[in-house]
Amino acid sequence: MIYLLLLPAIIMLILSFSNIEKSKYILPVTSLLILFPSIKLFFLPRPYSVIGKYLVADDLSAYIMLVSSIVAICVTLAMSTLGLHVKISKKAYSRFYRFFAIFWIGLTLSILANNMGLYWIGLETATLSTVYMIKTNNTAMARKEAWNYMIVGAIAISLILFGIILIYASAKPILGEDAMIFSSLLEHAKEIKSPFLFEIGFAITTLGMFIKMGFFPMNLWLANIERASFYPVAALFSGILESAVMIGFFRFSKIAQAVDLLHVFIFVFIYTILTIFIVSFLIYRAKDFMRLFSLSGVEHMALIALFWASGGIFAALLHFGAHAFLKPALFLSTGILESSGKYKIAGALRGYRGIKGKIFYFLTALFLLSIVSLPPSPMFFSELYGFAAMVNIAKLHQHLLLMIGAIIILLILLSIIFYKFIEIYQSMKYEGKEETKVVYGNEVLALIIFAISLMVLLTPWSFEFLRGVS
Amino acid sequence: MTSFLIGLFIATLIVALFTMRLYRLILWYSLNSLSLALLAITIGYSINDNTMILSGFLTLVLKAILIPYILKKVSVKFGLSRQIKPNVQIHYSIMLIPALLVFTFYLAEPITNMMVSNANYVAISISALFLSLLLMIEHKNIAPKIIGFLTIENSLFLLGTTATGGMPMLIELGIFFDLLMAIVIINLLFHQEEEEGLE
Repeated sequence: MIYLLLLPAIIMLILSFSNIEKSKYILPVTSLLILFPSIKLFFLPRPYSVIGKYLVADDLSAYIMLVSSIVAICVTLAMSTLGLHVKISKKAYSRFYRFFAIFWIGLTLSILANNMGLYWIGLETATLSTVYMIKTNNTAMARKEAWNYMIVGAIAISLILFGIILIYASAKPILGEDAMIFSSLLEHAKEIKSPFLFEIGFAITTLGMFIKMGFFPMNLWLANIERASFYPVAALFSGILESAVMIGFFRFSKIAQAVDLLHVFIFVFIYTILTIFIVSFLIYRAKDFMRLFSLSGVEHMALIALFWASGGIFAALLHFGAHAFLKPALFLSTGILESSGKYKIAGALRGYRGIKGKIFYFLTALFLLSIVSLPPSPMFFSELYGFAAMVNIAKLHQHLLLMIGAIIILLILLSIIFYKFIEIYQSMKYEGKEETKVVYGNEVLALIIFAISLMVLLTPWSFEFLRGVS
Repeated sequence: MTSFLIGLFIATLIVALFTMRLYRLILWYSLNSLSLALLAITIGYSINDNTMILSGFLTLVLKAILIPYILKKVSVKFGLSRQIKPNVQIHYSIMLIPALLVFTFYLAEPITNMMVSNANYVAISISALFLSLLLMIEHKNIAPKIIGFLTIENSLFLLGTTATGGMPMLIELGIFFDLLMAIVIINLLFHQEEEEGLE
């Protein structure tokens, strides 16, 4: 199984050294191979051991693997016409694929890891490979942001390792070397002799992950990096890399919840509310698509973390899937939306001719409205279920009134974001001059795949599967 | 011996914070890694842990010799500024660093109380982590920031060695691999900048 999972990345790595003009169209096809092992995981009895107890595919990792595979395929599909929208050298193009292959290997490791250390190694590999992807954009800003990402990313990832060491130290007296294994830790969480040490470790690890996801107080660093890089790189960041960080948060918080549910909830609750508070005003002031989508991504990540910590696993996973499809789709469409200039929002949704143009216009408008949770977006349902989970946890601990107050504040903040997106949508559709924009077939195909995936997410079969994830 | 080496580890890091020349900073990083390697070998020998001894030797070869050598080569090749003046002036650093050390010992007290052995070493590794962060913050140039990142990695290795009695071998090897990859990426980032400069 591991060969099947890593084979597409290895082929891609080898092809990236060949003549890019010839392999330009083979590379997206190669990425299609990613999908087969991801689907195969669904037909195997789970938890399925990929490599001993080190790499194990359970329901959660199989779901995230599938979502990430679809995003990866769509991004590589849209990549083939990147050169027609922006200036990119052949060398940079092959380098993108080379590092994408390394990125995919790191990502597969971190998603399937049942070992804290392996998870960290995969995440670090994926992070380091994206540093170079940022630099494929040959501008002074991209160069600066690549260094910025290297330094801040290194600090965040070091914090994660620091927390892992403390967690390992807290559980080693009872579990020995198995204290690195997620499933063993979960099974014996209540027996940990020094829960305080474990919780400190969890808090530091979570802090590192939250920094990587652009939570408070590092709200703008990710937005600046995504602005500086090419749009497929931003799509990879929001659709895949953040998923790898998120699965780590899911696994660590599950163990921490077994140690003390309320501590985890309060910690995540305060952190995410603070993040959404800052981000909602930053979104209100956003003046370009990239920063707007990036900050909106931070908001959604905060909501996913909040729902998960409240015990709303179904809500968190549904929101996660919807975010993982919608955000890369919007990032990929920025390549066309920004045809007339980076900061030209007015009229960005006008001037699309032909069938391809009409489909692009329709899908982009749909994705824009879906991201602010307008029904029947999956986000609408996930938020309803998520708020219900928050009320349930408050009822259990006799803090219902406080929680209702918090939900009202949250709704006010979300309505600021909603207002801004609607304002932008209207400006894109009704204001500005009409300028003809070119849309290519592969880009439309990528958006159609995202739209189909979103629809599949809304089927009773998906709901049933997500409800079964524990 | 262990106490001496751990003292040497923190001392080299403190001196690195005062350094204003790049090559000297690389030397202090190398000595910092050397004391870490000897520490891992000593502890590994005393508890009869072959894995720790092996990772000690790997640290010696990679972090004390190879990485400083590559960094020196890179800095010569790309003509990095050898004058690295910290943003925080030295007379302030003299007050700040002991304050940070005392603060860390106070902060780490609840953690160290829980440790079965080597409690003080855990506090020292956490303070080394803070000092490495200070090294990254107090410099504008990119080279000291890279050294800061590498010393953070050293501090975490020290924490892993002292707090947990060593991490599993597979993880140690993975961390070494990632460190090497980071060095390659850093080299590539500099390399492309030079290429663009030539264009």
